[in-house]
Amino acid sequence: MNCDKIREDFADFLAGDLDEGMLREVRAHLAGCPACRTEIETLSALWTKLGVLPPEQPGPALREKFYGTLEAYLAGMEGEREKPGLGRSLSRLAARLMPRRPAYQAALALALLAVGLGGGFWLGGQRPSVKNEILALRQEVGDMRQTAALSLLRQPSSSDRLMGVNWAENVRQPGRPTVDALVRTLNEDPSVNVRLAAADALYLFAGQPGVKESLVKSLARQRSPLVQVALIDLLVSVREKRALEALKILAADEKLEPGVRQKAESGVKELSL
Amino acid sequence: MTEPDKSGSNVDPTSDNTIMEQVRDGQVAKLAILFERHHVMLYNFFLRLTGRRGPGEDLVQEVFVRILKYRATYRSESKFTVWMYQIARNAHADYLRKQKPEVPLGEQFEEPAGAEPPPADRMDAEIDAALLRRALDRLPLRKREILLLSRYENMKYKDIAELLGCSIETIKTSVHRAIRELRKIYLELQGGVS
Repeated sequence: MNCDKIREDFADFLAGDLDEGMLREVRAHLAGCPACRTEIETLSALWTKLGVLPPEQPGPALREKFYGTLEAYLAGMEGEREKPGLGRSLSRLAARLMPRRPAYQAALALALLAVGLGGGFWLGGQRPSVKNEILALRQEVGDMRQTAALSLLRQPSSSDRLMGVNWAENVRQPGRPTVDALVRTLNEDPSVNVRLAAADALYLFAGQPGVKESLVKSLARQRSPLVQVALIDLLVSVREKRALEALKILAADEKLEPGVRQKAESGVKELSL
Repeated sequence: MTEPDKSGSNVDPTSDNTIMEQVRDGQVAKLAILFERHHVMLYNFFLRLTGRRGPGEDLVQEVFVRILKYRATYRSESKFTVWMYQIARNAHADYLRKQKPEVPLGEQFEEPAGAEPPPADRMDAEIDAALLRRALDRLPLRKREILLLSRYENMKYKDIAELLGCSIETIKTSVHRAIRELRKIYLELQGGVS
């Protein structure tokens, strides 16, 4: 193998596409050619650096815009799908019912016009089957938002996880896996900001079964004063009496920050009223 | 992000290609899966091509709007990422046509969005990354594109060749030249210190 051949194979070398035999040949050449060795070493180092350059995250508006467009497209698609179907049914019906004599046809047309006007007011434009279909499609998009949220909550970067919490709280009716993931985030996430955001998101879903109970349990395991205070506020605002015991323990814990103890004390008072 | 290999008789139901086929055939909501898989890399691709976040985000949105619009034209035998980047390159070409070439490309790049100053121990790495980004931004468009596709989208050279309409050999030579030129610019930006 000579220097020209090395240059030809350089791109494959970088991409890791050389087979064992070729790799051996390249290594043998490099051992005896300082110029090629230097080039391959320096350029490989740069290639590696490029690979670890962290990608930038787009703003949250991009996602919102995309899902808005998708929902509008789905709704439009459903509208389009309905039109020809309705037209076909009407023309079939008209063909069956239409009298043969023109005079009767005109009379029937007038009568249908009157019925149409009256019926139009009565129905108020409702078409339940279309609405149900759009609702189902929206639900599908909602499910995908939840999938995205769950995926983001598992990311190593705290900004991604924050975005995941944000996504989860924008789901109208989150499923159990999403709520569980938020509870897990509240209890285990290393970032205080992410835990605080998870607490806020769970507040929105406090009406769902098991959420208030999870918040009470979480209060006992939190160590950050910020999260403790946020949880106390939250449990008091939803008037969760089961939090009383945990609040009393916090209020009596002398190792805690005075601000947290004070908050717990006032929480006990409010919930005891 | 790459898609799972579709070679062999078993079709992977989670592959980009299969999902795009479903989108084409009417399960349009599944486009959300492809958006979640690809929008960050696509955004970074546009960010490095345009140097601006706003247009970068608009172009990502434009790509997905075009995918919706032209979904019926997707052919199963073509790889989804190749098809998507064809759309992306067209959207970028349209964007360039609307731009006035008044500011030299290398000068209009925005610095990465860093909310807070980095801690001292991360400073060197951040400076180095910023230099590398600037060097990348100064590469000629074609070379930049090839490096972005091969390094960040993990596209095979044959796919890039299909996308850009040239031979695999041309792509391989371009990768070699692009990385050499990148190093030259990078060293210049460092003030000649290697």
